[in-house]
Amino acid sequence: MYRTSKVDSLKVDSSALSSVIQIGDSTSITAFTRAIAVQRQKELFYSNEGNFNSFPIFSFQLPIEPIVEPITIGSTSLHPLIQVGSIDISGVTSAAVLHIGSSCQFQGESRTLHIRQLEHTNGNSENNVE
Amino acid sequence: MNFEVVNRELCVGSIRIIGVSSSSLLMVGDANSIQLTSLFDTPAESLIIGPFVPLTPGG
Repeated sequence: MYRTSKVDSLKVDSSALSSVIQIGDSTSITAFTRAIAVQRQKELFYSNEGNFNSFPIFSFQLPIEPIVEPITIGSTSLHPLIQVGSIDISGVTSAAVLHIGSSCQFQGESRTLHIRQLEHTNGNSENNVE
Repeated sequence: MNFEVVNRELCVGSIRIIGVSSSSLLMVGDANSIQLTSLFDTPAESLIIGPFVPLTPGG
């Protein structure tokens, strides 16, 4: 059922935060990442801040239905090769996967909370910030 | 359910991608089952205008 993958050249500049570059077949990959992204108007960094437990997005249960329907898959490979000349990627990040080869099961989950903190001045009220 | 697949010749010249992120997948090959989820939240209360108070510590 699974075909052979052939990639002549691969170039990846960076890979970070629970990402995977897999060359070759795999059975099961599970990738998970969670992040609190804080943007402040001033350059200010407190080393010990941010608690995943205090934000509901990180504990929210995903409504994923279990796969129960029986599916019979029949496949015929007339040409057992997937060929790619070149792959050029700038970045692979946050539980993302670059996979060359076949896999049985892949599961990925990413949760990001974005917070912006702006300085309060007279000309910077909530009405003129969209 | 019966699902019949016939794989014929598959040949790609070149792929150029800026970024693969937040639980996404670029795959050159076959797979049986793929399940990807990504949550991104910017709630109204996440725009804080005022003094730069640190977030809840710990974690």
